Amino acid sequence: MTELVWQAAVSGVVLGLVYALVALGLSLIWGVMDVVNLAHAEYLMLAMYATYWLWALGRVDPALAVPVVVPVFFGLGWLTYQALVRRIVRAPLAAQIFATFGLLFILRYGAFAAFGPNVYGIWRPGEGTVPVLGVPVAASKVTAGLVSLAAFGLLAAFLRYTKTGKALQAAAQSREVALALGIPVDRMYALSWGLGIATVALAGVFLIPFYQVSPTIGDAFLLLAFASVVLGGFGRVDGALVGGLSIGLLENVLGTLISPTFKFLFVFAAFVAMLLVRPQGLLGDVGR
Amino acid sequence: MKRPQTLAGLVLAVLVLLPAAIQDSFFLNAMVHVFLFGAAAQAWNLVGGYAGQISFGHAAFFGIGAYTTAWLLSRHGLSPWLGIWVGAAVAAGVSLAVGYPTFRLRRHFFALATLALAEIARISFLNWEAVGAAIGLYLPLQYRNRLAYLMWDSKPPYYWTALAVLALATAVAWAVDRHRAGRYLRAVEQDEDAAEMLGIPTRRWKLFAMGLSAALTAVTGAVYALYVLYIDPYNVMASRISLLVVVIALLGGRGTVWGPVLGAPFVVLLNEYTRAWLGGRGAGADFILFGLAVVLVSLYQPRGLIGLLVRPSPRLLPAVAGAQGDPQDAPPAGAGGPLVLQVRGMEKAFGGVRAVRGVDLEVRRGEILGLVGPNGAGKSTLFDCLTGFVRPDAGQAAVDGVHVLGLPPHRVAWAGLARTFQNVRVFPDLSVWDNLLCGAEHRGEGLWEATVREVPPTVQEEAGRLLRSFNLWDHRQRPAGELSYGQQKLLSLAMAVLRRPRVVLLDEPAAGVNPVLVEEIGRLIRALNASGLTFVVIEHNMEFVMRICHRVAFMAEGQVVTVGRPEEVQRDPRVLELYYGR
Repeated sequence: MTELVWQAAVSGVVLGLVYALVALGLSLIWGVMDVVNLAHAEYLMLAMYATYWLWALGRVDPALAVPVVVPVFFGLGWLTYQALVRRIVRAPLAAQIFATFGLLFILRYGAFAAFGPNVYGIWRPGEGTVPVLGVPVAASKVTAGLVSLAAFGLLAAFLRYTKTGKALQAAAQSREVALALGIPVDRMYALSWGLGIATVALAGVFLIPFYQVSPTIGDAFLLLAFASVVLGGFGRVDGALVGGLSIGLLENVLGTLISPTFKFLFVFAAFVAMLLVRPQGLLGDVGR
Repeated sequence: MKRPQTLAGLVLAVLVLLPAAIQDSFFLNAMVHVFLFGAAAQAWNLVGGYAGQISFGHAAFFGIGAYTTAWLLSRHGLSPWLGIWVGAAVAAGVSLAVGYPTFRLRRHFFALATLALAEIARISFLNWEAVGAAIGLYLPLQYRNRLAYLMWDSKPPYYWTALAVLALATAVAWAVDRHRAGRYLRAVEQDEDAAEMLGIPTRRWKLFAMGLSAALTAVTGAVYALYVLYIDPYNVMASRISLLVVVIALLGGRGTVWGPVLGAPFVVLLNEYTRAWLGGRGAGADFILFGLAVVLVSLYQPRGLIGLLVRPSPRLLPAVAGAQGDPQDAPPAGAGGPLVLQVRGMEKAFGGVRAVRGVDLEVRRGEILGLVGPNGAGKSTLFDCLTGFVRPDAGQAAVDGVHVLGLPPHRVAWAGLARTFQNVRVFPDLSVWDNLLCGAEHRGEGLWEATVREVPPTVQEEAGRLLRSFNLWDHRQRPAGELSYGQQKLLSLAMAVLRRPRVVLLDEPAAGVNPVLVEEIGRLIRALNASGLTFVVIEHNMEFVMRICHRVAFMAEGQVVTVGRPEEVQRDPRVLELYYGR
């Protein structure tokens, strides 16, 4: 039994890293401009399709698709900001919610029209496993987890050590003060959308080798990403990491101990409980 | 004026008779969906439109209604006539259990919580053996064609049942919209704090909207189950239902009675017919269109189709009698009345900053007490502590002997404290008249009473008198957001005094307005005072303070330094030093 739980915990951590990478962009955009992107997971879905088709048509290995897919999605995020989000930055909350809600429809059912309702996945026979702390885990999952860690490290370094990263943080703290200091807040917002969508696309590239894509997978991932952000504490990058890991663990360990059919129930129940008891999250500060 | 009602009656008559003319079963099926999802959208609109609490989880309530009715019928033979209401009660109960804690949260969190709730409900039902788990529930067919069981072989009876459900939901929405309830829900949507300060129990109203909305949604879900005869989590709890309902209300016109009614045929017929014409692969085409429409609505036309079709002409207001110019004369007031507000040892620190330290203050009935002092002296914080927006660290405060510290703002208002804010807070989208009526007395006001009745005529007459003496009568039908800043200040003063509170706290009534209006505001405060109202006025305009106040309290660094007659305080050397730096 303990061995089962240990296995569940290890694969939960690996899965949690992937969830964290999905949540990272949501958290970044939410933190920088206080807009919740309801269409966030649709970009994940689109990136998974892009990677799939590169593999299916061009025999491009997912890892090699990164230099194509990630910049393209950075551009898509930037474009989304310029075309839509820029107009609702200071709109009432309802307008903000509905703008990205409409975007969710367009992207999801656009994919539906383009690719149909079927599920697609990359199937690579003979893929090996890697032992992680004594537990064999599929190589593709380990890769995804390591990529996630690297992405978090790079983003944290960018925010902390570069001038642009600091400007981004300043814009997040106060639009007015940042503007007064001459920081191009508008460009910082666009950058946060570019980075946010690029990171979720990165997650999609490394997710498709072990998770099949269909137009409606966004539903589950959007909730998982929300849950990660809320659990970890919104408005901070490490919050998404802590939240994603907690959710991966919660899902796998409780799923093993009680019943795998209820694993998402535990996650969403924890999410709602967290909203009620500690809306600022595990790492968040009181206030704001 | 009577035109919308006549039109609605005419359309209803045509709809009732329609199955006699068209027997096409695809069309009738589509119309059943139009009515049921229109009704669900109407229900969503109560909480998502009027109250501004956006729910993405209404499929849960739809499913609860469907499951409760179907389960009671198939396992216990209970007639849907009863089962529907059991389902409505269960859904309302669940919604209140979710709403009670989540309504503390603001911004996006309520929407996120409802999203998760729907998913939790779906997974639970998918794995709950007693209700058929993933296999679902079949409705027993032996009960068909009996009115007692609301199930038939042909489509027209369902058509009429579904139409009746839509009519019910619309009637409820109409009642809410037309009476006090709608006004309060809109006020809650626009500025919760300001609504609280007027004595509107905002959380109770949000729960009211949520419970009513969930119950009505459950009714539509129940009728849907009786129609499709087979339910499982995929057809009655799918996120698609939550989304469809939001889209209907949003495109039709959020926060309006006729929006969801208008949006339903547009969205549902498009949905049904594209599915029929384009088949499997093109099935998403209509949703792409909805997505575009939703984006456009959020950017350009928040009132949806209704906003495009109907010019915003505020409804004609009742002529109010007894509107003489000035407030009635009363015995001259002034200092020396009995104690009405007593503050003792009030303390409040923010981190290391002790904003208020040990304030004692006494206000006597019938006086105007000025509260002056340099910026940062703690004057507004004192108001915030008194009115329940900030919880003080220590101290006591009583209004006519009733303790108010620790009460939520609306209870403080009920105890007889009214307050205006430093930066004006009116409800911009409500008319001037509706804004003012939000200031009526809310203590002891029942939810039901407020849903079916307007405020009493005596209050309306008083409101009319106030508007005239405040020179706002001619603007009473305009949205308050269109008024000038000064006019908004006047309106917020009128809103604070309508219910004739025991003490009115004014936070910088003369700031930011032109000298003529300052004069006017001073005159109004004096006149209201003469009619028996007591004021505490924070103000930096010393000339204004000297002119209207009976007594002045001087605050600096969180303490009351001195209290006395205006000219005494003005000459006090400590005041000169602390205020003017001399």
